[in-house]
Amino acid sequence: MRMFATIAKLLVKRVLTAIPILLVVSALLFCILRVLPVDPAAMSLPPNATVQEVEAMRKEMGLDRPIYEQYGIWLGKLLQGDIGRSIHFRQDVTSLIGTTLPATVELAVIAMMVATVFGLAGGLFLFYVRGTRAEAVMDFVSILLLSLPEFLWSLFLLLIFGVFFEVLPFTGRLSPGFERPVVTGFLLLDSLITGNISTFFNALEHMILPCLALGIALSPSLMRVLRSSLLDVYQDDYIQQARLRGLSEKRILVRHGLKNAILPTLSLMGVQFGFLFGGTLLVEIIYSYPGMGNLMVDAIRNADLPIIQGAGLTYCIAVLVISIAVDSLYLILNPKLRAR
Amino acid sequence: MTFEIDRRNLLQMLGLAAVSGSALSQATFAFAADTDSVTIGWPSDVPSWDPNLRFVPDAQPIFKLVFDQPLDQAPDLKLIGNLITKWELKPDGLSMPFEIRSDVKFHNGDPMTMEDFKYTFVDRVKSGLKLDIANSWRTLTDIEITSPTSGVMKFSAATPTAPQWLAFLGSYLVPKKYIESVGPEEFAKKPVGTGPYKLVDYQMNSRIVLERNDTYFGPKPKIKRVTIDIIKDPSARTAAIQSGQVDLTVNIPVREAERLGKTDGLTAEINPFTRLILLQMRNDKGFADMAVRLAAHHAIDKAALSKAFYGGAAVPLSIPATPGTPGYLPDYKFAYDPELSKKLLKDAGYTAEKPATFTLASTNGQFPSDFDIARALVQMWQKVGLKVELQQIEYSKYFELNRGGQLPEATLYSFDNATGDPEIFSGYLMNPKMPFGAWKGMEIGDKILKLFVEPVYEKRIAGYKDVAKEAVETGANIPILQSVQTLVRKKSLSYVKYGNAWVLANTMSWS
Repeated sequence: MRMFATIAKLLVKRVLTAIPILLVVSALLFCILRVLPVDPAAMSLPPNATVQEVEAMRKEMGLDRPIYEQYGIWLGKLLQGDIGRSIHFRQDVTSLIGTTLPATVELAVIAMMVATVFGLAGGLFLFYVRGTRAEAVMDFVSILLLSLPEFLWSLFLLLIFGVFFEVLPFTGRLSPGFERPVVTGFLLLDSLITGNISTFFNALEHMILPCLALGIALSPSLMRVLRSSLLDVYQDDYIQQARLRGLSEKRILVRHGLKNAILPTLSLMGVQFGFLFGGTLLVEIIYSYPGMGNLMVDAIRNADLPIIQGAGLTYCIAVLVISIAVDSLYLILNPKLRAR
Repeated sequence: MTFEIDRRNLLQMLGLAAVSGSALSQATFAFAADTDSVTIGWPSDVPSWDPNLRFVPDAQPIFKLVFDQPLDQAPDLKLIGNLITKWELKPDGLSMPFEIRSDVKFHNGDPMTMEDFKYTFVDRVKSGLKLDIANSWRTLTDIEITSPTSGVMKFSAATPTAPQWLAFLGSYLVPKKYIESVGPEEFAKKPVGTGPYKLVDYQMNSRIVLERNDTYFGPKPKIKRVTIDIIKDPSARTAAIQSGQVDLTVNIPVREAERLGKTDGLTAEINPFTRLILLQMRNDKGFADMAVRLAAHHAIDKAALSKAFYGGAAVPLSIPATPGTPGYLPDYKFAYDPELSKKLLKDAGYTAEKPATFTLASTNGQFPSDFDIARALVQMWQKVGLKVELQQIEYSKYFELNRGGQLPEATLYSFDNATGDPEIFSGYLMNPKMPFGAWKGMEIGDKILKLFVEPVYEKRIAGYKDVAKEAVETGANIPILQSVQTLVRKKSLSYVKYGNAWVLANTMSWS
């Protein structure tokens, strides 16, 4: 009961802190985008628009007003739930983000699961082979994995499994001919809700390569942090005492070592998940994945400031939510923190 | 219950996953090989399913499958009838009587009427909706309906390119009754056109699925189902055609196209089309002196650029128009002559100690090999004694810099004109009132502005040929190459090649 009260207290505190953070981020985003040397008015008009028409559009979009005034108007609308209208797509940004966000969330969550499995398994293995020749080999492998960015992994996996072995699809979320149920926008969830098992497996098949690319790129840092934490933890007295009590090495690792070493790894996972959420752009483009990253690339190409602002804010909110979730998990796992 | 993963059952699981993955994938690929369907890997999506809303050249071949344009273009780009069967721009260019077909139906079964024409080109434009076609039809004041199948387009000023615009960007007929009943937002979600295919499924930035419109008034498409996979990354498009996940794709790197063309079952083409690669020029700063501009032009080895970056398929240009279009001058050649460049610079008083200097701006990735071409240009210029600084810009920055008069002396630019009409080449590029051209000199600008309202076709074309030649000879424009489209397809899939790079699924068939 006390644990829930502590978590609730933390939630209230973090939500209250999040408000000024969001305000600062929104102001920064707005100002940075407004001082960029791009002309959203010209981009919003067809190529045969005259200079006068571009000027009229600038006025209509409020781009001729001082930045603080433009920000005030934008913030006022934002508080009423209106993020703006896309210059390129001429649609409400809320609707565009609402359509693309679930695909990115699904991708990020599964990629994080892949990273966690690889990261924890790799970290344990690294720790297990400490002091042996295999440690050097594993160190080399983890550094190699760490030095390749996710878009290179994307291309590499695509060539191996998509082109060379031809065993996995690499375009879109579903193969042609599969029914696409739309309930929540989360395809895996929707296919289960509607009982469409073939769609579920096909969607999962389409997620393998992008999630592997993202997950593999994230896993080496998890491996290395877990290994270091375990090495630190194993210097502590309670590990020696556990050995003296006759506990098996496996039991010591699971009950004492891992339980304590996992906390820094968990923090890193939280940070990585935040980055992952905003870092799927290239992977989504390579795999034609219709998520927010793909939308963001379109927005950047077309200087679609309302989408960039909306997506930026969404990323910020996601990072704050993830950070609150990780802190809560910390409280659950670490009794010392609850006692403070 | 616990489940321990040991080495044996891990290997069993991996084996099972590989087998099931392979089986599932075979099912996927079997679909692409179906002869009643085709899967196309296309580099960009439609911005919206309202075809009047935005001008996006790469989206036109997709729109043309679902919607119809009043006029159409033949593969050689000549204007041909479509929804409109007869048209005649009056000698003053202020009106255009036309007749429409009486046997056209929208996908929802509603017949196409003159009211739909008036609604699309006049009422919708005036309703305040932000439609790009409002800019192309700004001189259209009314469509007078004279009978159920005839009408007259009335213009406030001479509009000599009205017929061309009826087959160009955004000019697609939309259903008045349907849009008025469901609203424009719903129309964009469930579009209804008169085209050869109906939209059956759409996922933004991922896939478009179309099914044949069996009541289509024109030639019936041979392929029943068309899937367009939006694959923005060129490497992924290359992989998709190589692995058989798509049957045809475009705009992959030239080298990859050449490689895939040698693969069993595939064929590759490098097709020049109606897109120019040119230098937008300023008439001041480091380019105030005509001798410097001309020296810069004579120093460019266009054939070498084509060979290096487009496998030799991009046609070197001497005039801002592409071969086969009305404004092209087949016998006119602007010489590649580095010695003449050096002489021009020397005569103008430039030396190795006091060289002519200027800046070249280029995008990186806006069109294939753009920045590489820019780097090669800088080297060619250095050889004749021009000192050039290369600056990278974003395409979205181009208009802002141009509007503020902040573009450097030269900018590498690509310009698309599916109609091939010289107004949309030389006219748009050198009209000082439009946001494209950096050249603001009125000696050419005035001539262009007059041609914009010249209604006599022959006079207009002759005028554009003269002004284009003058622009090149005074260094107001440096055309470089005709752009190319790479296309790779399965050998058994045929399609009709268009001079403007349209790739239309309704012309495709399997053998």
